[in-house]
Amino acid sequence: MNTDAPTTPGASSGSLLRRSGWRLEKRLAVKPWHEVVTLVGAFIIGLAICSILIAASDKSVVDSYRALFDGAFGSRRAVYETLVQATPLIFTGLAAAFAFRARVWNIGGEGQFFAGAMGAFFVSNLWHAHLPRGVMVPVLFIAAAAAGALWASIAGLLKARYDTNEIITTVMLNFIVLLILSYLLGDMWRSPDTFYFQTVTLPESAHLPLIVDGTRLHWGFGIAVAMAVVVHVLLRRTALGYEVRGVGINRTAGSYKGISVPRVTVLVMAISGALAGLAGAAEFSGVHHRLQLDISNNFGFVGIIIALIGRLHPAGVVVSAIAFGALVNGAVTMQIQTGIPAALVDVIQGLSLIFVLTGAVAVRYRLQRTHTDE
Amino acid sequence: MNDVLEALINVGVLASAIRIATPLLLAALGEMVTERAGILNLGIEGTITVSAFGSFVVADKADSLWLGVVSGVGAGILLSLLMAVLVSSIKVEQVVAGLALNLFGIGMAFYLFRAVYPQTGSEMPRSDTFDHAEIPLLSDIPAVGEVVFSQHWLTYAAIGCCPLLWWTLNRTQFGLELRSVGNNPAACDMRGINVTGMQYLALMFGGLMAGLAGAFLSVFLSGLFFVDVAAGRGWIALAIVIFGNWRIGRILAGSLFFGYLDAYQLSLQARGVDVPHQLLLALPFALTIAALVVNRRRSHEPLHLGVPYFRGER
Repeated sequence: MNTDAPTTPGASSGSLLRRSGWRLEKRLAVKPWHEVVTLVGAFIIGLAICSILIAASDKSVVDSYRALFDGAFGSRRAVYETLVQATPLIFTGLAAAFAFRARVWNIGGEGQFFAGAMGAFFVSNLWHAHLPRGVMVPVLFIAAAAAGALWASIAGLLKARYDTNEIITTVMLNFIVLLILSYLLGDMWRSPDTFYFQTVTLPESAHLPLIVDGTRLHWGFGIAVAMAVVVHVLLRRTALGYEVRGVGINRTAGSYKGISVPRVTVLVMAISGALAGLAGAAEFSGVHHRLQLDISNNFGFVGIIIALIGRLHPAGVVVSAIAFGALVNGAVTMQIQTGIPAALVDVIQGLSLIFVLTGAVAVRYRLQRTHTDE
Repeated sequence: MNDVLEALINVGVLASAIRIATPLLLAALGEMVTERAGILNLGIEGTITVSAFGSFVVADKADSLWLGVVSGVGAGILLSLLMAVLVSSIKVEQVVAGLALNLFGIGMAFYLFRAVYPQTGSEMPRSDTFDHAEIPLLSDIPAVGEVVFSQHWLTYAAIGCCPLLWWTLNRTQFGLELRSVGNNPAACDMRGINVTGMQYLALMFGGLMAGLAGAFLSVFLSGLFFVDVAAGRGWIALAIVIFGNWRIGRILAGSLFFGYLDAYQLSLQARGVDVPHQLLLALPFALTIAALVVNRRRSHEPLHLGVPYFRGER
């Protein structure tokens, strides 16, 4: 992106601007507060547009947003539930952020989530009678990470070996793993006492312990935050992290520096898949305690959005995952109290992302008065 | 066993294969043109959903199927215009913009659906649907008439679109320019071709076609709208473009093949044959990955696919 001439986004707008005595100029450096303003601004614009939708359906905007906020943060219980909703999103957000740092486009978080949950179910089914709780839960998580990593590695290896587009392969792998799961749930994994596509309930010894008794807040949240720290250290303090960032900034230069781009690609995919797989284990052993086709609320895809809104930074991911968790959680209360469909939250999320993306580009430019004799 | 074999060539299965293939073909053709101009639009799933809703609600409330189709298509074009502004003008990362569009589109469609039709009981609102357009005389031919000549008019239009599109892309100046934009935008820019404008046009065409696909799902097939109405068809269309190696003939064949697999497994399920139908459904996706690997040396993938073009940058 380094050119002498200031490039304008949308060449056609250039002349119009110039005639009005202003021009777009590229900023030399984007300061952190610019980014914060962009993010907050994007969120506010998203909410503002949605308030038009609310007003159009003859509901009170203030009441609706108050219900949304109360549902998300209004009580201690609401806050815990918000964190429950945020937990899988932290994992999948980290998964996407880590891959995107290397400019490896892992769109397969959704599939890797399910691969992870399947790995966890597989070992719990195999060993639950033999292992005590202190061992069982870690084993579940390791199995989930391994399964997620393995599933993502398919795309990583294909990319490294044949240079196949990982966007496409990860999307295809999402569908394949879901169909495999659907097959297993209808066949050998189906619980014998039910007609539904679901497995048996996980034995108590394999449940993730709760952080706060009497709520749903489980230690998956703690693990998720710990993973954010791990990812941060991995990126900042290790040789692999250096290589990941190097490949992300410039593939060619990276390879001249002696970085094996194919090796990094496979590793990045595997680690990203492992993180998404952990989300599957956390939901499986922390919330649902059984495997079904609907244990993911689009977590893999929303994770991508969270990674971008969090600026591909682990701390940013945690913050934006909690914000999204709050929206999802608050929407339930809003729907009950005011009758506004909870789908509004998807609109808010989509709009915020669109404005964040726009803002991220816009923030690189500034309007400058041109010194002409007009 | 007999059931398994009989379903392979059952007239009903073949007819429904073509029906199922129609939205796939429409969306895939649109996506192919978009990609030829260098834009990877991952937002087709959302576009189809929005259009299905647009068609449904207008067909139901204005009581006109044709108006329904028009507004579905309009909604599709509007959404892809938003995509065009994001990726072609502002030059946001295309993958992300596409995903944002899906989230926004599906959320918006479902929100508006619930706003227009508040949940009451278990009964779903239903719109009219188009009748099959039976072609006189030809539809009387045994078997062939039922399979090929008793489809919806949009199915004929979709298939008729193939040679037209082929001719436009491969035999006209406009088509050449469009393909060049996807392969070498810098050279096009130097020749005075409006790269951004071309990409806008290509995306709008993609939106039009995805819009028709959405309309087909609601006001041709079922007369229903629900949040999962697209059911992954946007993604399958994406797969078909790759499976077909960006070539129209193969995209047509791919759509029919994928449609056939779906129709076949549906009929096996309906007959209560105990086969792992999920594996049949997974086949298209596995084949697409295989096609990516096998075709990599003679791939027609546009060289500049998914890469934003900045004037003055190499």
